[in-house]
Amino acid sequence: MSKDAMIHLQDVQKYYGDYHALRGINCDIKAGEFFSLLGPSGCGKTTLLRTIAGFEDITSGVVMIDGKHMEGVPANKRPTNMVFQSYAIFPHLTVEQNVGFGLRRDPRPKAEKDRAVAEALEMVGLKGFGARAAHALSGGQRQRVALARALILKPKVLLLDEPLSALDKKMRENMQVELIRLQRQVGITFILVTHDQEEALVMSDRIAVMFEGEIAQLADPETLYRLPNSRRVADFIGHMNFLPAKVAGEANGEIDVDVQGLGRCHISARQAPGGNRGEEPSVGFRPETLTLLYDGQTATDREATGLIEEVVYYGDMTYYDVKLDGVDAPARLSMRNVPGRPVLDRGAKARVAWSPSALVLFR
Amino acid sequence: MKSQGNGLRLYAILYLAFLYAPIFLLPIFSFNDGTIIAFPLKGFTTKWFALMAEKGQLHQAVINSLIVAGSTAILATTLAIFAARASTRFEFRGKGAIMAMIMLPLVLPEIIVAMAILVILLQMGVGLGLTTIILGHTLICTPFAIAILSAAFQSLDKSLEEAAYDLGEGKFSTFRLIILPLVLPGIISSLLISFTISMDEFILAAFIGGTSPTLPVYIYSQLRFPKEIPVIMAVATCLVAVSIVLLIIAEYFRRRGVAKTGGKDSGGFL
Ligand SMILES: Nc1ncnc2c1ncn2[C@@H]1O[C@H](COP(=O)(O)OP(=O)(O)O)[C@@H](O)[C@H]1O
Ligand SMILES: [Mg+2]
Repeated sequence: MSKDAMIHLQDVQKYYGDYHALRGINCDIKAGEFFSLLGPSGCGKTTLLRTIAGFEDITSGVVMIDGKHMEGVPANKRPTNMVFQSYAIFPHLTVEQNVGFGLRRDPRPKAEKDRAVAEALEMVGLKGFGARAAHALSGGQRQRVALARALILKPKVLLLDEPLSALDKKMRENMQVELIRLQRQVGITFILVTHDQEEALVMSDRIAVMFEGEIAQLADPETLYRLPNSRRVADFIGHMNFLPAKVAGEANGEIDVDVQGLGRCHISARQAPGGNRGEEPSVGFRPETLTLLYDGQTATDREATGLIEEVVYYGDMTYYDVKLDGVDAPARLSMRNVPGRPVLDRGAKARVAWSPSALVLFR
Repeated sequence: MKSQGNGLRLYAILYLAFLYAPIFLLPIFSFNDGTIIAFPLKGFTTKWFALMAEKGQLHQAVINSLIVAGSTAILATTLAIFAARASTRFEFRGKGAIMAMIMLPLVLPEIIVAMAILVILLQMGVGLGLTTIILGHTLICTPFAIAILSAAFQSLDKSLEEAAYDLGEGKFSTFRLIILPLVLPGIISSLLISFTISMDEFILAAFIGGTSPTLPVYIYSQLRFPKEIPVIMAVATCLVAVSIVLLIIAEYFRRRGVAKTGGKDSGGFL
């Protein structure tokens, strides 16, 4: 375990009866980090978060927070606070009473506590809302009250369970930015649960991608996007094209691969970060790493040819499904729509530029 | 379409008239200056109400009923709080069967319950009186109380408790600060409904009450004497008034509870 780990999880196992909800979670979360648990619904994100909060007993393993073992420490004695998915605003109390709820046992004089409540409300942009009845707030306001209520206790770790999923798109994007700002301001470790890969990429310092109770990959957003360690992670985070490939040789940190439709090339060993569980080897690449070549243009690196099967126009972008020569399934590539770059037609022949450095090998 | 609507409306009016007209007759005859319950009315008087004050047995019956109804309301509601909390929050073996058995008295013919209890009490040599009525009434009121309180506990989001706990409160203070205030309207509503049911329950009170008549038992016993009937009418008028007030209060609290927790109104007993 590293010395600066705020949270240390070691082989955490959790069973609900016969159901194996957490299958050996190992990870260290650093102090002051914005950490996300990302995965499809039912993969155990909430369970892991509640395990850290102290709402669920683990079957075996070690949970340490700030260097202390948490076994037998109940939720109300842990240095964590939670923002619940439903926000859990107390409906019979005012906004002020909700935010100040955790200060009930605080020995400070009332005036000082009132000041703390006012500050917390201001921090989340709810200045002047203190006297409102909590049950009359909008979704976004409830969310802010929940944040203020948790942050006022200055926890070492703030746990957020899909805090933005109940908001509409616009509001969600605003809150993403605000949460990042808030986290920098207070410097507290944030652990965010989300099933939205874009949200995780935008907000996090590091992301743990979970499937079926296991962490499939733990990395910073860029690594996760550029070098996913399995086809499953690659598929979950954005879109990735896959082409069958054969490894022809390997030497000096370089791999010699023969990719269907693209041809033979050398890639760095770094570009093969993980296995693919006994499937046939394949090579993956993101849509934006392939570029359509217009008349007169030539590739700076490598070139391939194919047929445009589908064109989807998105305003700022156009997506093309291109069937490369010698490949069965089309690959998706995206082009930014800049002036002087026409949208090509379906059925047209296409030349595409690509680079071996953008490939990921799964073998 | 229009004529069909009118037919249905007529049906609805007749139905309501059949339901409530007899009840409206009570106050009419209780103010009628005559001992015979028949039209035409003789004249206006309040002497039957004045006469109520002189009936010692009536007073005793009212006191008995208040004791029984009050105790029943508290007992049934207390038991129901535990049952409703357990059934809405926890999963345990045989929960469905246990809850079904607790709720069964709701549909069991009361006369059967009354006879069964009477036989057992006599076999056990337990003296009949107010205590036995209270126990019997608790049995039949508890299902109603559970139905009301289950709805109250059900509409309570589990994460509210967890949030209070997460913010540093203990199990007990969480119950006191969060759960109790949010289910309080349900508790009040349960108390009032249990009280009302117990207040006018006749069969059990007559079977297992021994020599301590409750108000309904007393009223029934007086119906044998024609000259007492106008006074009974006056008593009944008072009872109707009290019942209506209690039910209105109960419904008010039930609705307030629904509004406060932001839940949807799924309909209560009213
Ligand atoms: N209290 C529980 N009892 C039994 N199974 C549960 C319980 N809580 C969660 N589960 C199961 O554990 C799995 C993971 O749940 P959860 O952690 O809520 O997933 P996520 O938050 O990733 O959607 C799900 O299959 C869920 O059905
Ligand atoms: Mg979840």
